[in-house]
Amino acid sequence: MLVNLHLAALALYTVSAVLALAPFAGARPVARGWTVGLAVLGAVLHAIALSQLSFAGVAPALSLLALCLVVLQVCSELLLRATTVALFTAPLAGGFVGLALLLGLAPGAEERAGRGVWFILHVSLSVLGLALLALAFIAAALYLVQFRELKAKRFGQVFQLFPPLERIDHLNHVALVAGFPALTIGVLIAIGYAIRYAGKMPDAAQLVWGSFTWVVLGWTVWVRVARHWAGRRAAFASIAGFAAVVLVYAALKLAQPGVQRFL
Amino acid sequence: MSIAILGVNHRTAPLEVRERFAHAPHEVPEALTRVLAAGASGGVLLSTCNRTEFYLSEPKEGVPEAVWGLLGARLSGHRSAEQYGYTTRDRDAVRHLYRVSAGLDSMVLGESQIQGQVRDAWETSRPQAGPVLHRLFQSALLVGARVRTETEVGVGAASVPSAAVAVASKIFGNLTGRSALILGAGDMAELAASCLVGEGARVTLVANRTYERARAIAEQLGARALTLEEAWGFFAETDIVLCSTAAPHAVVTWDRVARAIKARGGRPLCILDLAVPRDVEPAVGQLENVFLYDVDDLQAVAGQAAAQRRSEIPAAEGIVNEEVDRFWAWYGGLVVVPALREFRERLDAVRAQEIERALRRFKHLEPEDREQLDQFSRALLNKFLHAPTLALKEAAERGRGYALLGALKELFGLEGRDDS
Repeated sequence: MLVNLHLAALALYTVSAVLALAPFAGARPVARGWTVGLAVLGAVLHAIALSQLSFAGVAPALSLLALCLVVLQVCSELLLRATTVALFTAPLAGGFVGLALLLGLAPGAEERAGRGVWFILHVSLSVLGLALLALAFIAAALYLVQFRELKAKRFGQVFQLFPPLERIDHLNHVALVAGFPALTIGVLIAIGYAIRYAGKMPDAAQLVWGSFTWVVLGWTVWVRVARHWAGRRAAFASIAGFAAVVLVYAALKLAQPGVQRFL
Repeated sequence: MSIAILGVNHRTAPLEVRERFAHAPHEVPEALTRVLAAGASGGVLLSTCNRTEFYLSEPKEGVPEAVWGLLGARLSGHRSAEQYGYTTRDRDAVRHLYRVSAGLDSMVLGESQIQGQVRDAWETSRPQAGPVLHRLFQSALLVGARVRTETEVGVGAASVPSAAVAVASKIFGNLTGRSALILGAGDMAELAASCLVGEGARVTLVANRTYERARAIAEQLGARALTLEEAWGFFAETDIVLCSTAAPHAVVTWDRVARAIKARGGRPLCILDLAVPRDVEPAVGQLENVFLYDVDDLQAVAGQAAAQRRSEIPAAEGIVNEEVDRFWAWYGGLVVVPALREFRERLDAVRAQEIERALRRFKHLEPEDREQLDQFSRALLNKFLHAPTLALKEAAERGRGYALLGALKELFGLEGRDDS
């Protein structure tokens, strides 16, 4: 059931992304209702599947990250008409769901009962913060591509189909500003939860990566909000920050392999 | 019955002639009254900067003379209006209006402004339009909307001013509230400025070498007038700069913009150089967050959209032809019903005459027999008329009623109200 729901969600995400991105292949745009509707339907099935999972381990975290990315993609489409976000979110979400399925998803009532609401809140908010950091990275990449096309006076498909520069910059700003409090609360809950239930601080790897991600996200928000960075400079900062977070995670995971724990 | 169009457009007449033929809305009723007096049951005058066309239903022989006379009176130097004009009739006239409404006959293919102009023409001429043209214009508006919805003939920016708006929109998104500075007093910049204003941008500053000219334009746009030298400092505040001076060399230099750009805090600046020769040094485009486009760039954007629109022509023409068939079926039916009635009345009169003559000879017949004979003659006539009546009605439904009707009139010498 879990796997089938994930596969159904994956299929719906794929169809939605293909329809949304069809104009890049020269096809006529499909009504937004279809692309958004299919993605939302996929997200509903995905959420039903996730509700049966324990959030402990790499696979559930990847699945949750994929769901958050799809939800953010739909929000970007509805609020900012940024359809091209799907260029990145669709393969990322699809890849994460596929990877989660490969790593193995199994119902985990036991862990959930043991760890309770705080654990779920910690994971959900942290993953949402990460997904927003990823969205900021995606917006930054879109910004740089559109910037280059506009500067080079190329009026092809990117010019026609990508959102306007300032709108992409705004998406980057909103993603960072919304992601920071989500991640902050997620990290604080993790520390509180570890002390309350385990009677000690979280593991070193968890502490290092959580703190690092928080600092990176905090820095990107600070340069945007306090230093008024915008445009290309802010885009580079977002990309560098996201890349650093992913690299540090990969390094820590290589040092402590295994899929039972996220870190 | 028939429908005819007499007029001129951007293909048949130069701007100087079209300007003279253009009718302001308040002139339309009088012009139509004069043309209709020459013999037509209804008329609509469509007058835009690119066309002046009289749409007429049931025009009599003297109407063309009235139309060309009316238009010719606006020309100087004993020129004839007819030499610039064209006449289109019936199905072709319907197709013409549908193509006009869909933007397929416009100077800029697929432009949407014409749809509103067709609507305005219909509204203005309504009291004099008559039922046929009323229906024709109503359907033309629907055809225009259908073509724009079902094809991409109106997609993209297909003219230089609209390309300027498209480029600015790709940088800023919504242009509402964006500030624009006009440098110079060229027509193209004014046109592009009006397009930007149409999208919600505000022209806040107008700068020109001569202050008086700047002030004249600024007053029209509700902006502040500046001299060129005063303008450079405002590059730090404005979002869009439209350049169109008559200077023989670049007046917007790297130094001047670079100084201002530092104060912008990373906000993009869109410079649209519409002047030939160019007003802006190409090096200005290298500055961070400065997006510089000249006429060639904007023409490339417009050309791309135009090519895309042209590829949609077959689909759009298909819709137009389909709708012409539909209108013509309705119109054919409209013509056929009274003609059939007249045809039947004519033959019934012959029948009545002949049966009366026969009955005069058969005086010995009883009243019941006379009645039987009369009924027989009616039944025989009905049998004879059944097949042609059905054929004509079916032809009308398929849009061929008007052609068959001509044959019917000729064969049976009908001279009803539909002869024009």
